[in-house]
Amino acid sequence: MRHINKYSARLFFVFLLSLLATFVFSSLEGAEKYKEIFEKEFLAEPWAGEQIEKSSCIECHASDIMKPEFRNIPDEWKTSWHYENRVSCHDCHGGDPKDAAMAMSPQRDFAGAPKYSDVPEFCGKCHIGILKNYLESGHGKALRSKGTGPNCVTCHGSHKIQKASIDIINEGLCSKCHSYERAKTMKQALFLTEKKIREIEKDIKELKAGGVFTEEKEKNLFSTHAEFRTLFHAVDVSMVKERTDGFTDKLNLLEDKIQNTLNELGFRKNFSAFLMFIFIGLGVGIFLLSKTYKS
Amino acid sequence: MLHRIKNWLEIRIGLNEIIKTQFKEYRVPRDINIFYTLGFVAMAAFIMQAVTGFFLLVYYVPHSNHAFRSVQTIMTTVPYGWLFRMMHVVGSNLMVAVVFIHLSSVFFMGSYKKPREMTWIAGWLMLLLVLTFCLSGYLLPWSQLSYWATTIVTTMPTAFPYFGDSAAYIMRGGEYVSGITLNRFFAIHVAFLPLLFVSILGVHIFLVRRIGISSPPFGENAEMEWTEYRHESHSDGVPFYPHFVFREIFMVMIFVAIMFFIIAFMPTLFLPEDANTPADPFRTPAHIKPEWYFLAPYQMLKLIPNKFLGVAMQIIIVAVFILWPFLDTKKERNILKRRLLLSAFLISVAVWIILAIWGRYS
Amino acid sequence: MKRRGFLKLLLAVFGTTALASLTYPLARFLAPPVEKAKGKQISIKRSEILSGGTMSIVFNNTPVIIINRQDKGFIALSRVCTHLGCIVEYDKGKKRLLCPCHAGVFDLEGNVISGPPPKPLPKIPLRVEGENIVIG
Repeated sequence: MRHINKYSARLFFVFLLSLLATFVFSSLEGAEKYKEIFEKEFLAEPWAGEQIEKSSCIECHASDIMKPEFRNIPDEWKTSWHYENRVSCHDCHGGDPKDAAMAMSPQRDFAGAPKYSDVPEFCGKCHIGILKNYLESGHGKALRSKGTGPNCVTCHGSHKIQKASIDIINEGLCSKCHSYERAKTMKQALFLTEKKIREIEKDIKELKAGGVFTEEKEKNLFSTHAEFRTLFHAVDVSMVKERTDGFTDKLNLLEDKIQNTLNELGFRKNFSAFLMFIFIGLGVGIFLLSKTYKS
Repeated sequence: MLHRIKNWLEIRIGLNEIIKTQFKEYRVPRDINIFYTLGFVAMAAFIMQAVTGFFLLVYYVPHSNHAFRSVQTIMTTVPYGWLFRMMHVVGSNLMVAVVFIHLSSVFFMGSYKKPREMTWIAGWLMLLLVLTFCLSGYLLPWSQLSYWATTIVTTMPTAFPYFGDSAAYIMRGGEYVSGITLNRFFAIHVAFLPLLFVSILGVHIFLVRRIGISSPPFGENAEMEWTEYRHESHSDGVPFYPHFVFREIFMVMIFVAIMFFIIAFMPTLFLPEDANTPADPFRTPAHIKPEWYFLAPYQMLKLIPNKFLGVAMQIIIVAVFILWPFLDTKKERNILKRRLLLSAFLISVAVWIILAIWGRYS
Repeated sequence: MKRRGFLKLLLAVFGTTALASLTYPLARFLAPPVEKAKGKQISIKRSEILSGGTMSIVFNNTPVIIINRQDKGFIALSRVCTHLGCIVEYDKGKKRLLCPCHAGVFDLEGNVISGPPPKPLPKIPLRVEGENIVIG
């Protein structure tokens, strides 16, 4: 080992000293765990960013004092599409989530769990367009007149609601009351439009990954899709078939817009590549020129 | 035509003498290597940032309700807005890379030693300013990425007891990142930092020219004693113009070519999906990470079990680096002859890279 | 020397191209936006919309509703809900605009009364010129 120069020794000593000082000082703070503390303190601090909303509903319903049948509800809700869109307990059931005393008070419009035949109006508080079509449908009329028939929860579930898809129409569900034939016809009528919508969704995702801001296109697609779905709830195959062309036109327009955007992206790539080559050319030129000056 | 302009200037400011002394007779060491061009490349990059930034100012709106939309307008509606915005984004990242390499090569060649300590300190201050530029500029598009990365970085001062919370409060202009933060960061990014940076840059360049450019330490140069001022003139060197000027310009062309390569073929390299989503204070994206140049410090903070220790370590490391010319006063500039320092340097670089990669994938 | 001359020429060509390829975009970038073609305006007779009534048109590819409000006169609002893009409907009885998708409610100024929409409905410029209403 070479003789250690006193300067190296000096700086090493300084470094060690400062390290020691910080260890001593910080151990006065107490020993703590690693990553969890870091992320918890940096991110979960109410003023550090994500403002987590307080919910007395969840606090009781997820706790041990709650009946077992009710205890799963918050977890089921957390897997739902409503949760993704920040629709929580009070948005459907009323009550005050910020105040445990008033959480289930009728003074805060607490509605409790709806009766079977009241479910459509319960969901229809928000999903107005769908309620309207449903009430005009065979399903809605059956529920109104006989008290039996599918309500929203029959097909969509209550707390575990997932993003609606064409696969909700399936043999297991629809043949509970009648033959699957009718449902199958409906599914076929919907199929092509739904497929087109899914393809456009994929294209929009690709655009987004390519750096494009797709809000307007997403909104356009959503409104067209929502209108299409609302139509379905009238459960009228001939109406669906009649209106499909209108929807296809709208979707084609959207596809054209997407194609335009893709073309624009292609132009940008070419233009930037052109600039790159110009500067490579300049670089090479300068390099060769400098060689002619070698003395 | 060119001659007439030159003559016009010559009569008024003695242009020929300036060209003669500052370019043709100014000599640089014969064995000067390519790393010596990086300072100039960094300056050229800074000018590009300033120019593109200036033009972006024409359309950008620094208010939390409009910031995101104005950037999208630049990217989609304004003709060639995408070009200037991409140059600004890609250029800034490349500039940081160049500055890092410039710093490492200066360290490696021991050019921070006497009499160039002030140049080193000015350089480090500029590095910190560049990182502050990056931090403040990052918030301006007001995207999910902007908002949350800024939230993390402005929470770091809270690690300090007593004054940590106030420091974070002042940085953000409030309890959490908001429109107030945006306004502050905008003012810093567009007015305060450029003035400060250009002043220190001026000092840095003056020092380099006044003291004289250093020689690479790998030759057989005798160690010089510095007991009184002497400009290091390299009388047996090569003329600055044309030899070194061409190399500097060549490196700048390479820099710009790389920038356009990334813009053409990897446009989303620095703009992931979160950069294209408007900021939402109620929804933390799944994997927020700071930008690559902050990954190593970030990962170090995550590893060190104590929050205060983590932040303090960062500050100590920076302080050690800035004061390095005073801690390492050995005259030997050739790092290859100093095994301990060489190993420490190589290990530090390796650790930095490993921490950054770890931070990226954890 | 010949080679040097040639290279200088080459560099001049490349350099000018580079400069032009950056100046042209800059010029287009800085040029003020072209005025939207005035001819795109739509003109409607006042008498076609009774007091308290509405008319739905398409303007610039956007569905728009023109309302003849009893107290405040004419207004033209975009029918695209600011939540997720569904088309809002006019509710005459309650004097409001209702979105069928998630029950977003807007007043007749376009402001959000309740529901998920984050922003008010965009107003479309409207002028009353004698017997006509001009949109755009």
